[in-house]
Amino acid sequence: MIIFSKVNKWYGEYQALVDVNAEVKKGEVVVVCGPSGSGKSTLIRTVNRLEDIQGGQILYNGHDVYGVDSNLNTLRSRVGFVFQNFNLFPHMSVLDNITLAPTKLKGLNASYVKTKALELLDMVGMSHKANAYPNQLSGGQQQRVAIARALAMEPPAMLFDEPTSALDPEMVGEVLSVMKSLAKEGMTMMCVTHEMNFAREVADKVWFMDAGRILEVAEPETFFQNPTHPRAQSFISDIRA
Amino acid sequence: MLLNVIDILSQYWELFLIGQYPHGPLGGLVNTLILASLALIIAFPLSVLLAVARTSPYGIFRHPVTVWVYVMRGIPLIMIIFWTYFLVPSLIGRNISGFTTMLCTLVLYQSAYLCEIVRGGLQSLPAGQTEASRALGLGYFRTMVFILLPQALYNSIPSLISQFISIIKETSLGYIINAQEMTFAANQVNNQLLVKPFEVYFILAVTYYLLCFGLTQLAQWFERRIDTKRQGDALIAT
Repeated sequence: MIIFSKVNKWYGEYQALVDVNAEVKKGEVVVVCGPSGSGKSTLIRTVNRLEDIQGGQILYNGHDVYGVDSNLNTLRSRVGFVFQNFNLFPHMSVLDNITLAPTKLKGLNASYVKTKALELLDMVGMSHKANAYPNQLSGGQQQRVAIARALAMEPPAMLFDEPTSALDPEMVGEVLSVMKSLAKEGMTMMCVTHEMNFAREVADKVWFMDAGRILEVAEPETFFQNPTHPRAQSFISDIRA
Repeated sequence: MLLNVIDILSQYWELFLIGQYPHGPLGGLVNTLILASLALIIAFPLSVLLAVARTSPYGIFRHPVTVWVYVMRGIPLIMIIFWTYFLVPSLIGRNISGFTTMLCTLVLYQSAYLCEIVRGGLQSLPAGQTEASRALGLGYFRTMVFILLPQALYNSIPSLISQFISIIKETSLGYIINAQEMTFAANQVNNQLLVKPFEVYFILAVTYYLLCFGLTQLAQWFERRIDTKRQGDALIAT
């Protein structure tokens, strides 16, 4: 579904991604973890070209993301992306936030789009706030709406860039439970997170990154019990301590 | 002195308000308001386009507008009035009225200032707004029209009102090219009375003041409203 091959990225002199080779298979939940500044967010943002790469290739659902023939907007509309800071549109109601892209991009009938949006809101437990504005919602509620907004374009895969890092501890659970139910439904997911319990319970694969490289790819059980790379070992012992 | 003011007002209020109309051209306060409003109505949409060009990633749009803005902001308004007054008739081959000259000048001049206000509004929006919209697959223009401009313009309302106040005061410069407006009317009254210039221009000053004060209050009201909205955001964010 998402294939990184020999991906390299520089910010000026600084190399943010070094020869990244990895694959997210269809229906798989991949959790990307690692210390701050290791390139996790940069990596996930290259999939829908929020960040450009300078070398290598990324295939998303069979399309070359950086190929000359790829239509960027069409590509992006097929990638569900959830941000750390939610980034809901504050001048629009919850419902309008969700219906905007399907109405404008797919030209679908407004009442059909609205019905679908209400179903999605129901799924994330937010249908009672359909007419509220983002600034009337808590962080956890905003993030659940943001997930519904990303799902509204019916993307084949969802990317989460630290979806719970900006949340108060008591709101983390509600967002993770929405993500868990998505994973159960078989959604392909790539998720940058510091929630190691989520990785343990939900992930099919854990990618461990440091200094722009993927150092270890393992099943969560193996990764948390017997990490092979020394850097991953010290990371695991640090988060246990 | 106050009695004189009341006396002048009771005698010449019509001239102050509407100029020589209906026996001559419309002028006075009414024309000042028409001139300022028209200038804003034409300059505002123009400035939105200029601001979009000025924040454009394409130099071909960005550079000319940037030059335009710097030129307009670096020249006194009265120079532009003179240029329009002498240049435009020689270009189109016929005279244009003081009112039209003044309107064109204000539109040219104010579009540059309004452009900078709108640009400020656009650039103060968090980058996440653009990213979220682009990530959904909305293109550059749809992002601009549906996401960025509605927020930027709303946040700019207080500054836009302040600029409208400037426009109102700037219309008084139309006096030097015989544009019919309130300062011109006051001068006509003064010419008839000859001996009471202080009182006449006092009336003029008070009228401008009240008009602009009212608009300042409106701007402040909007500012408070926007502050309260942002406060709402902040409360959730903590």
